[in-house]
Amino acid sequence: MSHRNSSLPGGLAADFSSRIARLMFYIVLCMVLMTFDFRGQWVERVRSASTLVAEPLWLAVEAPFRLAGTLSDRWADRSALLAERDALALDLNRSRARLLILDEIERENDRLRGLLDASATIDRDFQTVELRQLDLNPYSHRLLVNRGASEGLRVGQPVLDSNGLVGQVDEVLMHSASVILLSDPDHALPVKVERSRLRTIAYGSGRSGELRLTDLPMNADIEVGDVLISSGLGGRFQPGLPVADVVEVTRVPGEAFARARAELRARMQGARHLLVVTEFAAEERIETEEVPAAETTQLQAEEDGS
Amino acid sequence: MSARDGGQGVLAISLALGLALTIMPLPAALDLLRPYWIALIVIYWNLEGGRLRHLGHGFALGLLLDVMTGTLLGQHALGLVILVFLLERFRARIRFFPPWQQATAVLVLLLNDRVIHLWIIALQGNAWPAWQWWLAPVMGVLVWPWLFLLLDALRRRARAHSH
Repeated sequence: MSHRNSSLPGGLAADFSSRIARLMFYIVLCMVLMTFDFRGQWVERVRSASTLVAEPLWLAVEAPFRLAGTLSDRWADRSALLAERDALALDLNRSRARLLILDEIERENDRLRGLLDASATIDRDFQTVELRQLDLNPYSHRLLVNRGASEGLRVGQPVLDSNGLVGQVDEVLMHSASVILLSDPDHALPVKVERSRLRTIAYGSGRSGELRLTDLPMNADIEVGDVLISSGLGGRFQPGLPVADVVEVTRVPGEAFARARAELRARMQGARHLLVVTEFAAEERIETEEVPAAETTQLQAEEDGS
Repeated sequence: MSARDGGQGVLAISLALGLALTIMPLPAALDLLRPYWIALIVIYWNLEGGRLRHLGHGFALGLLLDVMTGTLLGQHALGLVILVFLLERFRARIRFFPPWQQATAVLVLLLNDRVIHLWIIALQGNAWPAWQWWLAPVMGVLVWPWLFLLLDALRRRARAHSH
């Protein structure tokens, strides 16, 4: 490098055209890379290899913020913590009570499914993940979470928060994973309008927290305030998860399709924990159920619930 | 070119810190105002340190940024390659500008970079960014003098130690 460096200040005119040529070379290289990356072809492999380099860097940058977080937790006001604990305990009790009712409904559902000879529902499991304390570019529509392949995450698993669907696992590293948000313009989600059972596809709008529905028939039964839930078509997302609220429907006369805008239920601001739906819990279940005891099933049900 | 023997270590540390600042968590309201640290550091080292003068440097740094921030591979690289090219083109002039004029040049470079990013963001089908997005270069210029003084001081200390 140094011998080229020293040649830079002198011979400017001759150097200039070669610089232009090099600039063009790099610009074309960038364009090609971006195009391939956008189209999602072989750069995918380069990319996943390069994120292996990025992961330790992410961890290194996050470490001081993580430390600050634990320190502030340690020195948090005792009375505030106690109040928070009480609130959480109350919340937990309420949720438990609700779950007891749901358990009953689930058993009933199983019986009915048995009567109807319908296919059994897949046993799903959840894994709680925490957002890494890092900000990616807001236009990447990605989140980083602190669980990865070693904790059982796989590409394509749905990600939820307590209000609704957030996105799906997009890329899995050893101890972290990136989640593609529903708002990514590349993302399409099969949804259903809860009220009218109308099925359609919701695309990411590229604006954070917003979806757009672009292929609605003009006479589609959809109104402002309708709730969109996942329809389960495509087999990736569980049916019935709340997704978004319709906030605007426009029917331009003369156009072939009506359009709608919907706001995501999931609130990404302030959320630190997300749920990833994993469905590989079946083997673990079998192991735990190999200890047959009539009394423990009740206990187990409670454990599963909590 | 006595400037070039300013610490290699300072360069590496400043780039590492710049990367850290780039992905450091900020409240959502401030996120759009985040100065483009790596660009500022590249400008400093190019003008004052006589380093990072090759387009390849900009390209490599840009790719690293793309991987770290999850943008399209080549987005930051394109911006930084053009930045380094423009810097090199007008280096002789910008170096001897009075400070306020130099700051204006930095602002123009950062704004130009934003335009490049805007173009790529729009091509990807994203929505138009909020108006705060354009404040980031202004933040960058506000940070610029302090960064300049800090890096200058560090470099001088590193050189004093090495002698």
